Parts: sequence; C-alpha cells; structure tokens
Amino acid sequence: MSSMNSQPKKPKYWRSLAELEGDPEFSEYVAREFREPLEQTPLSDAGRRRFMQLMGASFALAGCHYREEKILPHTSRPDGQIPGVQTSYVTVMDVAGVATPLVATSYDGRPIKVRGHREDQASLGGTGPFHEASILGLYDPDRSQKVMQGQTPSTWEAFDGALLAAYTAAQKAGGEGFAVLSGAHSSPTLARLRNELKTELPQAAWYVYEPSHAPGKERGAELAFGKRVRELVSPEKADVIVALDSDLISAQSPSGLAYARKVSERRDPDSDSMSRIYAFESLLSELGSLADHRVAVQPSKIAAILAFLEGTIGSELGRATIPAPSADVLGAELHKVLSVVVRELLEKKGKSLVTLGSRYGAELHASAHRLNVLLGNVGSTVRYVEPSETLSGGVDDLAALVADIDAGKVKTLLILGANPVYSAPADIPFAPALGKVEQSFHLGLYRDETGEKCSWHAPEAHFLEVWGDARVQDGTVRIAQPLIEPLLGGRAAIEVLARLLGAPNPSSQALVRATSHLPTDKLWRAAVHSGRYGAAANEVAVEIQAASAFELPSAGELEVIFETDPAVFDGRFANNGWLQELPHPLSKQTWGNAALVGPATAEKLGLGDGHLCEVTIEGRSVSLPSIISPGQAEGTIALTLGYGRTVAGVVGGFLNPAEPVEVSGVDVYKVRPSKAPFLASGSVKKTGGRQELAITQDLWAIDAIGKSGQKQREDQLVRETTLADYKAHPDGIQHKVHHPPLLSLWQPPVSYEGHKWGMAVDLNKCTGCAACIVACQSENNIAVVGRSEVTKGRELTWIRVERYYKGDAKKASVRQQPVMCQQCENAPCEQVCPVGATMHTEEGLNDMVYNRCIGTRYCSNNCPYKVRRFNYRNYNLETIGTTPYTGTDDRRAKLKAMAFNPEVTVRGRGVMEKCTFCVQRIQNAKIVAKNQRRPLKDGEISTACEDACPSGAIVFGDLNDKNSRVAAAQKVPRAYELLQELNNRPRVNYLARISNPHPELSEADEHKSEHH
Amino acid sequence: MKLFVFPRWANKTRQIFGVAFAGMPIYLTALVTFGFSPKTTDVGYQPKQPVPYSHALHAGEMGLDCKYCHNTVEQSSHAAIPPTQTCLNCHTLVHPESSKLLPIRESAATNLPVEWVKVHNLPDYVYFNHSAHVTRGVGCVSCHGRVDQMEEVYQDQPLSMSWCLDCHNQPEKNLRPPEEVTNMNWKPPGDAVAYGKALREQNNINPPTDCSTCHR
Repeated sequence: MSSMNSQPKKPKYWRSLAELEGDPEFSEYVAREFREPLEQTPLSDAGRRRFMQLMGASFALAGCHYREEKILPHTSRPDGQIPGVQTSYVTVMDVAGVATPLVATSYDGRPIKVRGHREDQASLGGTGPFHEASILGLYDPDRSQKVMQGQTPSTWEAFDGALLAAYTAAQKAGGEGFAVLSGAHSSPTLARLRNELKTELPQAAWYVYEPSHAPGKERGAELAFGKRVRELVSPEKADVIVALDSDLISAQSPSGLAYARKVSERRDPDSDSMSRIYAFESLLSELGSLADHRVAVQPSKIAAILAFLEGTIGSELGRATIPAPSADVLGAELHKVLSVVVRELLEKKGKSLVTLGSRYGAELHASAHRLNVLLGNVGSTVRYVEPSETLSGGVDDLAALVADIDAGKVKTLLILGANPVYSAPADIPFAPALGKVEQSFHLGLYRDETGEKCSWHAPEAHFLEVWGDARVQDGTVRIAQPLIEPLLGGRAAIEVLARLLGAPNPSSQALVRATSHLPTDKLWRAAVHSGRYGAAANEVAVEIQAASAFELPSAGELEVIFETDPAVFDGRFANNGWLQELPHPLSKQTWGNAALVGPATAEKLGLGDGHLCEVTIEGRSVSLPSIISPGQAEGTIALTLGYGRTVAGVVGGFLNPAEPVEVSGVDVYKVRPSKAPFLASGSVKKTGGRQELAITQDLWAIDAIGKSGQKQREDQLVRETTLADYKAHPDGIQHKVHHPPLLSLWQPPVSYEGHKWGMAVDLNKCTGCAACIVACQSENNIAVVGRSEVTKGRELTWIRVERYYKGDAKKASVRQQPVMCQQCENAPCEQVCPVGATMHTEEGLNDMVYNRCIGTRYCSNNCPYKVRRFNYRNYNLETIGTTPYTGTDDRRAKLKAMAFNPEVTVRGRGVMEKCTFCVQRIQNAKIVAKNQRRPLKDGEISTACEDACPSGAIVFGDLNDKNSRVAAAQKVPRAYELLQELNNRPRVNYLARISNPHPELSEADEHKSEHH
Repeated sequence: MKLFVFPRWANKTRQIFGVAFAGMPIYLTALVTFGFSPKTTDVGYQPKQPVPYSHALHAGEMGLDCKYCHNTVEQSSHAAIPPTQTCLNCHTLVHPESSKLLPIRESAATNLPVEWVKVHNLPDYVYFNHSAHVTRGVGCVSCHGRVDQMEEVYQDQPLSMSWCLDCHNQPEKNLRPPEEVTNMNWKPPGDAVAYGKALREQNNINPPTDCSTCHR
C-alpha cells in the first residue's frame, strides 16, 4: 500500500505551468463546468417576446416558400469558365522580400482560398499562417478605399497630378528633394523602375525600411569571403545540423518553407538515414522543436559557441582561422555537449550544416559561413550563388532618411507600402521628421499610422488584384497573377511609379511582362501558367578571407530579444481576424502579445502569467503582461513586434476618437533600439496588476478525475523514444499503454468496403507552426469569435495544436501535437446525440448535420478528444454582419462575406461543429473521378491542413487503398491511436516522435520502452 | 429560500390541457394535410420570368437539346442558365425586333445580366451536383418533369429530402443510358426496373445515403 500513499510523481510531460504546479486558481478554473455564466441570450426576456412576434408574423404569411432568388448569368461567359467549378491560378506573395509561390483558387471569379505550390522548389507546397490568411485580407473592408488629401477625400487624378507636379519640379533640379521610401520587396519590376527613376532623377534618393530586415547573413558572407554572395542550403543532404538560434525553416525566412520540407525528409526513423539536429537557442524555434538535443542558451553565448566550434574544428583540421576560447567561457555542461558536436561534425565532414539565426550580426555569420567551408559543406549542403538585385534595407536606411529630412534635403517623400510611423525604432524620430517634409505621398493597403500623417494617401491594390512578380532565393522569378479586379480601386506600386516615369496609363501586366523580356506571347503564357521564368543564379566559388577573432559579449543583465510575430508579422497583418485569433505557437496566446520569460527569471522578477511588467531599454519603457515560457534561456525576455496598432481597423485596433476600437496587444517598437533592433539589453520590473490573457492551451482542461487520468496518460498521448530503442524494440511504442482486450458492445455496423478515410500525423515532423489552423479556418468558414470569447473558452478553430513541455521546467523542450476530430469508427459522440445530428458514414466519417443539431452539446461532453466546437453565439453574423443566408445592403458586410467558401455551410448560433476531414473536397473529388469513370488516385484529395503543412507532417488518404501514403504511414510500428484503450478506433493515427540523440549525450534510460 | 407557491391561476391548467388534448387530432390532421400538400412542397411553383421564354417551343417543338443552353450540366454542380450570348446566337436573326426579347437585347447592350427567377430552389445547406446525376444516367425529366411541354417552367417534383432518398435507395427506376438523359420521350425497353438494374450493375451506380453526401 505504501506506493499508493506516496506523493504522485511529477509528470514527465505537462501542458502548462499552472497545471504542473497545481495552481489553486487553475484547479478552481477546471472545476467550473462553464467558464462563464451564460449571459443574457437573445431569447431571454425581451428577446423571447420579440421572437414570438416574429414567429407570429411569419405564420401569418401565406405560403411557406423561400424568398425568391434570382439567377444572374453572364452576358457572355468567358472561355473556359464553368459556373460552379473551381479554377486555380499560380501566383506569388511577397512578404518583406520573402517570396512564397502560391496557388489561389477562384470560385465563379471570386478568390476563396490560397495554398502552397507543391511543384515549386521555392516552397514545396508549404505555407505560413499569413499566406493562408491573405484571402481574409483581400476582403477586409477596413482597407483603404479612397484617395485622401489630408483629411478630405480626393481622387486618383488629383493624386497623380500632385505627385507628377512634385516630380516635375524635382526633375528640374536633377531630382534633388525627391525621395522614395519603400518596404523590402523582391520584385524585379520594382527594382527596374527604381533604377529608371534613378536615371531620370539622379539626385533623388530611394530608401528601404523593413522592420524585420536582418542583414547579418549577407554581410557575414561578405566579411568571410570578401564578396557578395547568397547562401542556399540543402538540409536534406545534412546528416548533422547544428542550429544556433536558427530560423532556417520559418515561414518568414527566405525559402524557409522549402527547407522545412527538406529537413523533415530526413526525420523519418523508418528509413535508415535519419539526421541529427543540435539546437542551441534562446527561444524555442521551429527547428529547435525538431531537435534531438536542445540547449537553452542566452543570445550572448552564441558568439562563444561559434568561436569554440570554429576554433576547435579549424585547429583539428590544421586550418585554424580564429582561436578557440577556453572551456570556462562556455561552462562545463555546454562544453561537454559542444565537444561531442565537434567530434560528430568532423566525422560527418561534407554532410553537416551549421545554421545561425538571422538576428545575429555579420561577424558571427561570417564565422558560421567559415565553419561550413571548413567542414567541407560547400558544394554539398551549402551553395553560394550570385545575389540578385532586390529592394532591402533596415534601420540604417530609415536613420539616413530622417537625417536627410532634418538637413532639409527631402521636399517630396513618396512612401510605397511602408508604415514607419508605427514601425520605426524608438530612437529614430520618423513621425516628427515626416511633418517637416513639404509634401508626402503614401500608397498603402490601409490608411494606417503613416497614411494618416501624410499629405496624400492613395489605396494600394492587394497582391491578388494586380500583376506583380517576385524573385525567390535561387534567382528565378515568380509571376503574381491577379484573380480579381481591384475591389476597392487600388493600384499597384509599380503602376504608380510607371505613371510617374511617363507611361500614360500603365498596366501592371505590361510592366511585369516588360521586365520578363519574354519575346513571344507563347513564352509569356507558358511563364504565367507555370508561374515562373528566368534562369537560376550562377554558383560562386568562395574562399575564406583572413579572419580575426570576434568579441565575446558578456551576458547582459537581461537580454531582450525582439522577434516578429508568427501571425501578424511586423504588424502589417494586424487587422486580420484569423491571425489575431491564431494561438502563438508557444504561449498559445491570441489577440495580443506578451513578454516571454523563462521560469527561473520569472521567479526572480516575481512575474507570472498575465502579471504586468515594465521593460526598460535605453531609458524608454513599455508596460506589458508577461507569460512564463518554459525552456526559454534564463536571463532573456522575448518581445513580439506587430501588436499595439492604433490605426489598424476594427480588428487590430483603431484609436479613432469617434468610435475607438480596442487595441490588440502592446506596441514594443516604442522601446526597440535602432543600434540593436533584434538583441538589446534592458531591465524588467514588475509593476503590479494583472491582465487576463486570451490563452487557449488550458481551455480544454478537465476536472480533477480527468486531470489525474490525463497525467497518467501523458506519455501515452504524446509518445516518443530514441532511435536506438525504436530499432531495438519497434513495438515499444505500442507497449506504452496496456489494456484488456478491446471488446465492443455491438457488431461494427459498417464494413467500410468502399473508401476508408484516414489520416496520419507525424510528430517527428510537426514544428507547431500553426499554418494548418489558418488553412482549416479558411477552407471551412470557421468564424472568428473575438478576444473576450476566447477567454471564455469558445474559440472555434477545428484544429488545436497541443503543446506539451517535456522535462524540467527550466530546461524544457516542447512537443507539438495537432489534434483534430479523430473520426472514430466507434465514435462516442454519435451514440449520445438525441437527434441524429452526428452520423456515421459508410466511409467512416463522423458527419455533422448542422440543420439537425439542436445544441445539446452531449456529443462534446462525450468526446474524449475535445475536438468539438460549439457556436455559443451567432459569430458569423456578429463579426461579418451577414451570412450567405441573410441578405444585406451593407457594403462592408457584403465584402467580408465574399471570403466564405461556398462549398461549406456557414454555421449559426446553437450548432455544434468540428473537423469534417474536408468532406467537401472528398465529395467533389469523388464526383469528378466518377464522372470520368476512373478510380480516385491517392493524393487527389488533400485536406486543407495537409496542403498547408510545410514539413509534410499530415497525410490524408484512403486506408483501403493499399498503396496510399496514409496506409503506409499507419502501418509503421510507431503509429498509435490517441486513447486506444477506449476502443474508439480513431481514424487519425499519430506517428510517435523518435529522437536521434548522440549516444554519449542521451539522457540515460529515459526513453527505454517498457518492453514485455 | 422561500418555497415556491403556484399562483391561483395555475388551477386552470388542467382545463387548458384538457382542451388542448381534445384538439390534438384536429391539429395533427391539419398538420399532415398542409405539411404534405403540394403547395407546401412547392410542387407547381411557377414564378414569372423577365422573358416569356417557352421551353415548350424551344425544347419541344423545335427539339433543341437541353445541353445546347445548359451546357455545363455534365461538368459542374450547376446546369448553368445560359449567358445572354446564347440567346443571341439565334435571335440576332430570328425575331430580332420582338418586344418580348427586349430584356435580352438590353442585357447585351448594357452588359448587365438578365435577372431570371430561380424555380428549383434547394435549401442552402443542400449541395446538389448535376454532373454527378447526369453522367450516371438520371434523365432531366426525372426531376424536372416534361419541361418540353412547359410554356413557363414550374416545379414538377417535390424536391424534398425523402424524395431524394427514394431514388438514392432505389435508383433503378430512374436510370437510363447516359447518352439518353436529355431525351424527354425515352422509354425503357421492356421492364423498367430490370433494365435499370442492369444499367446500375453495368455503370457501378451506388448512390450513397450518408448525410455528407448532400450536407457539408
């Protein structure tokens, strides 16, 4: 009996600190069945009377026919267009100079969905959250709709006239006084027009300010090799990857999506070539979440690590470049790991990759470049090519512009797309400088903080509305094809520039085509069809230049890391509801940002989740809530850019005196120093007070019994072991859970003879990037519920990415597990629905029949996976103003409603919903295949989440097709079902995470299977 | 807490319920009569169209194939209403001055669509696909009736869910060779059900009755 009385062991996995430490508030929180008392509903009191009146009125109407509907056919139907059939177009989206090839789907002329372009080497089909959400941005009624002169509405003619007058005046002085400020962009057409402008106006200046601009990698290469080159990597060829605070596979990095796919190719433990990843990082990154060894280090330590690696490896190879620092600088623990890393890198010469995060400076990047050369990786995992001309620039350019304005050198300023009034670093007074410019012209998607302060503002067109182009990393060009005419009268930046340069009525298509130099229509059409043209950049041979040791910074009091938000990026997507409501991959926070701190640092500072603190950098302070982030390097604090927009719109925040809209999050640009825009040092103090945060991780927590069950099961829910153990005992994963033989109360009612849909989610590949969540939201018309509803636990996203921390809070690593409806064969939800609103199909799907659902929520109660979502309110009607079933004359509502996918029912209040395995795609593909009298091919049907996943972690298909990818995936020994002991027979299988630690560093016996 | 006491008027509930129960048979009869009447199921719904287009003349007397105008029916969920241009293919030569065709000419001149009124209007949560039915050999006439005899189109069948399911459960009665779908006068050779069964076998037709077949 003694074992029963002993203290329960601390679990190996845990989902949040509150849960780990048994926070009393948390216990109270899970004890309540409903997070919030249900508020007054429209059907209570006065509402009920109104309801009866309406009903009475409708009873009184003669007949029961639907309202009369009109059919409006084309007057002349365009060639190739078939009403009701979706068509896809290849296009490209450039975000801050990073081009991502996309395929946009149009339904009867209306773009409704974007996905990655699978055949394109530049992304291999992956997308990031903001690519998926660009559809919602297209239909945002807060986008700028008219030209403004100061505060008065004006016209494009007046804008053109004023701009041309300023241009002509400047032309007389050789361009003096004329300046352009743009964001970073990889468009060759824009670069061409910039050069033409420079020829016309030799004295004019063009500045580029991009808040996320991190020139370290390119300048580092220049420093290391003495010439400008661009690095391309092939992580699929690397047996060992050393990731130093790396953002290599982030959707925000150039080619990051393609690299994600390539890294994950080598993370298959069922093949014989699994790679090993070492991550040394301050925050938990996407690559770090895949790592076999993860060491949390402060950013200041990265220099020492690099110096140690380069110094030791250089001397081992007899090509010493810089001296290695003494082991004391690193500390014993880090030294031990690094010694192993050095040995392994030397063993795997030519088959390794060292990658350093973009936020570091040129000196450190030079060291990383040299390391790859020393290790013989150049030519195999790393290639250097000639850089192509792009528009890029950061704080230096902005500082130069402000200095020039102060010196009276700028009379006319044309701002293309940038929003520096919001995004300028704290010590660059851009806003006051803007006031000193005689005439300022702003072209932007939104009349934002900058647009408001300029003497002229004009609406820019969305990338799905005009032609454009963008260059990807290898130097080839992608063509951005529009799917719709500008909805709100916007123009492309290239059109505005070309008009200035003398083209009378420039079209974006002609401009893009002129850049391409494609001589014939046929070649042009072929380029548009494939979305690409141009030759890849030439490879360049590199040689190491004489190097000097770099300074090893001492650890600051508190190292502040600035990073762009995974969802709203640098703030440009702040008015996008899908992105605001997207949980941050680590903190799972929605609708806002927070200061992330490690547990020990938080303890020292007295901080906790939601505690307000004041971060001071160079004498400037900002107050924001904190969130404890296990696994983050101690002595660091992470601030997320992109929030606190005051002129964003009705979603992101708008401090309009007439109708102010709550501002989402806190603007940390206000403390961002221009000297150190990514890594600063500062101090933090607790200011007292708390703020309720909209965090989704604990929303589906259950009561005490459930919790203890969950704790017992945690290593059964997210299963993992080491590669060595997996090879020795392949069935060890199955033995993580033991249960009596599973017997069903009844014979299975369905034999699943036709198709049998299933899914496999590979936990060895999932990085938690959250692209799947937005893709699902876009495909399935999932409503945005808003901040206050999220705090009540009413978010509707069908996929949640469960976050499990593993190990000690201070050294935790993270495991991400996407959970969607498991489509059980023995579904507990189906058995309790009193009205047959959730039914089993012959193919094994759990259908949700919205028009039968009466909202008892029994199904959600009985679902052990907690994947069902309930519409507590009529969210679509509330947030959009209309649904496809309610007419409206409101233009704003009409525009927003265009983002709906017409293939999916829009749910109303009181209805349960959940993942359907994208049943609309299944049905449509089946119909098309049968129309053509052929069987369905594997891969023909993909779910939206599968499409979006950059690392290919999600596979969907027919389990009855023996050759399908999903059937193969579910057959590997590491495939397991969640809660298999309940005999639900879920159709989603998870593939256990198999890490590949170095034998000398493996945490002793931790993963040994209980093999019986 | 104070005990809840029923108010005095609550004594009358027995009488009220008594009357309600007595009226129940009448209510149920009325419910069934009206609920299943063609008026409720919309059979016979015949809205007025902007152009008095006669299917009886075009499809019947002149024998135009349905697919001449509704040409997307084999590829799309919609059997799309033809664009104005389709009308003008003939009507620039035939009756080019007719006053009845004024809306067509107006549409062509202004490039604005003719506003036809939808006759066969399914609820918004039903996803019906024409191509799936037509390519399997369900004739137009099975759902739309003798359009070739209609001066102005009306709804011929109830288009209710049970009506859909009748056929999904027993498609034999409504199957024909796919190339005969637009033939309004087609008659099965011999026994209709036996012939349908053979076709069903031959073309591997197994209409699903899952909810998500039509509702998603």
